[in-house]
Amino acid sequence: MLFGKTTYLVAVAAIAAALQLVAPAAVADVNPPLAPLGDPPVPSDNAQTTAKIELGKMLFWDPRLGGDASTACVTCHEPSQGWAFSDDLSRGYPGTVHWRNSQTVINTAYLGKLFWAGAAASLEKQAPSAAKGAVAGNGENDVMEARLAFIPEYRKLFNEVFGDEWPKIDNAWRAIAAFERTLVQTDTPLDQYLRGDKSALSEQQVRGMTLFTGKANCIECHNGALSTDQKYYNIGVPPAGRWEEDGLAQITFRYEQFAKGVTQKMYRKIKDDAGLYYRTKQAADKGKFRTPSLRYTLYTAPYMHNGSFWDLREVVDFYNAGGGENEFGATKTPAIKPLGLSEEEIEDLIAFLEAFSGPEIKVEAPKLPDYAPLPAAADAN
Amino acid sequence: MRCGILTRLFSVAFFKSVALAALIPAIMGLAVAGAYAAEDFGPVEPIKVKEKMAALGKRLFFDKRLSGDAAISCASCHMPDKAFTDGLPLSKAYPGSDGFRNTPSLVNTAHRAAWFRDGRLGTNLNDVTRESLTEDYFMNMDMRLMQERAKQDPVYVKMFKDAGLGEPSNGGIRNAIPEYLKTLISRNAPFDTGNMSDDARAGFELFKGKAGCASCHSGPRFTDDQPHNLGVPENPEIWRNPLRHATYVAYAMFMGIENYMNIRRDVGAHVRRHKADGSDIGTFMTPSLRELKYTAPYMHNGILKTLEDVVAFYNRGGGDDPNKDPRIKPLGLSRQERAELVAFLDALNGDPLTGPDFVLPEPVPTNYEAIDDWRDATN
Repeated sequence: MLFGKTTYLVAVAAIAAALQLVAPAAVADVNPPLAPLGDPPVPSDNAQTTAKIELGKMLFWDPRLGGDASTACVTCHEPSQGWAFSDDLSRGYPGTVHWRNSQTVINTAYLGKLFWAGAAASLEKQAPSAAKGAVAGNGENDVMEARLAFIPEYRKLFNEVFGDEWPKIDNAWRAIAAFERTLVQTDTPLDQYLRGDKSALSEQQVRGMTLFTGKANCIECHNGALSTDQKYYNIGVPPAGRWEEDGLAQITFRYEQFAKGVTQKMYRKIKDDAGLYYRTKQAADKGKFRTPSLRYTLYTAPYMHNGSFWDLREVVDFYNAGGGENEFGATKTPAIKPLGLSEEEIEDLIAFLEAFSGPEIKVEAPKLPDYAPLPAAADAN
Repeated sequence: MRCGILTRLFSVAFFKSVALAALIPAIMGLAVAGAYAAEDFGPVEPIKVKEKMAALGKRLFFDKRLSGDAAISCASCHMPDKAFTDGLPLSKAYPGSDGFRNTPSLVNTAHRAAWFRDGRLGTNLNDVTRESLTEDYFMNMDMRLMQERAKQDPVYVKMFKDAGLGEPSNGGIRNAIPEYLKTLISRNAPFDTGNMSDDARAGFELFKGKAGCASCHSGPRFTDDQPHNLGVPENPEIWRNPLRHATYVAYAMFMGIENYMNIRRDVGAHVRRHKADGSDIGTFMTPSLRELKYTAPYMHNGILKTLEDVVAFYNRGGGDDPNKDPRIKPLGLSRQERAELVAFLDALNGDPLTGPDFVLPEPVPTNYEAIDDWRDATN
């Protein structure tokens, strides 16, 4: 070595100092600021109409869009449970339990991808995946489409809305997506505050906001109007406790590994949800999940992709401790570090988190139309 | 097998003499399809099975966890005391659907050449098992989930291993259930043991002769394993019950049946060849005539309640259909002859397959224990 140890240390310190000087300019905090939420985007091939939304609402409630006509969208996305399901793992199709926490439908209209690991590219694609998955709706296109044809009111509505001679199953998903795009909340206390009503947040909440964007650095990922960067991270959420103690949950856990096509070696060993990995099959994506929006979370406990935490306090404690450990340690994001929040700061932060939710969104369940025999057509043989 | 070699020899000799007797009406010009040799009929061959695999198949057959929502097992529609049918005109289906055909018996099913009323599968029982497990309106089971359910049950883990099938797998399930089905073979029918009444013997002559039954109902199982059109009337229940009709539509969509929203008939074995002229519409596989005592009502849609009704249907020359098989013509059977024919059919009923060899002594548990050392266990 040309340089002695001391020289080396000095050099390192000099470089570090230099970096620190340029850092604010080079990696300026580019996190999009929190912002009020505007209207959701509507895809050009699925315009919102009153009739379509009304049809979608009925279909959202209709268990005939499922295998044994017991499980509708609403079954796991209950309005009274935050348009989600208030258990760690979502209930599943009869005879099963799901393997992830049910996410709220509220504000999903804004998301680029759906499901915890972004497996569906649109609401129109999310609905059939849920209706058909073996531990969700377990339906099949042919049976579900055939059922719709025997419901006269649906025949009429599909004809009016889509011009279908017979209801087409893909149009059922379009109608459901249109209904879901009405389930938005844009007037939370935070929205009001950010639009200029400084009385919308309490002093405690304002202190919480300062922590959120500063010391606690939640803004690193929970940013922008939707409070999510829609990117994927491993923050070290531990595996679901149910997998240790619940036979049904163990079955579903292995089924998901099998169904998602992991290697034989991985199938034999894995004991946790590898998240984004199932889509990309890249080791660097193991254990990563999309940052969820913080909006409407007042009503959507428990939290995290497997419902590990039962209230916001547990969530904040988890982050304050620097996240947790899971078997995908190599992919844990360095952004998660112990925060050193005081008890008072924790309370301030939780108070602020509550400002992401407005009043509970309640909808009266629609009356579902009945089956009726199908009269013979004129050209029947 | 209860049926010893002496009995078998006796049976063969018996059939030879019967066959000779059959020549007489043939010479007199009454037989429709000529004489039948002794080997045309006879006992159904038992099948040698791997016992441990068959025992595993039996447990699977009665396990409700093999359906999507764990509500029904194979035995829900294929009940042992009804020769593995359900006693209904039209079968039940998976919850949320309803059946549009009569449940076929599984007795002797291992000898079939093609399965289901429409003969849509002509390969093997492994495929039949897959179709029955996975079809939306049968058991609606995702086989990947089925595999993981089986792996969760220590009883299965052991049974699969003992049966030489390794760990529980959907492939193993599709081997084991057929192995059990191979044990469901008719045995000790009076026809096979030579203990037929005089009426039954007279009925057998009619069967081969004047009534012409044997032209399709031939062979040890009394079926040619081919589809035919008899003009069986539609069962209107299918078309007035939206659930049954919707289930038929789902089937029709999947099978590529044209104009499926507008037709109001079961096209049957048309799905095998899809003949452009439609001449195969309304054909159905000839069913076996064994164990009919347990399998009422009859025909592919259960439209006929009793065997007397069935014989009367044939006596009238079947039903009304432009594609009706030309061999189906009025038979001119007297009341006595019709009774003799039914007596013969009664002689085709064997021992009920309801003993412990065929039925599980107690229900399969429906819950699952957790794996204790989950974190360290190999999945």
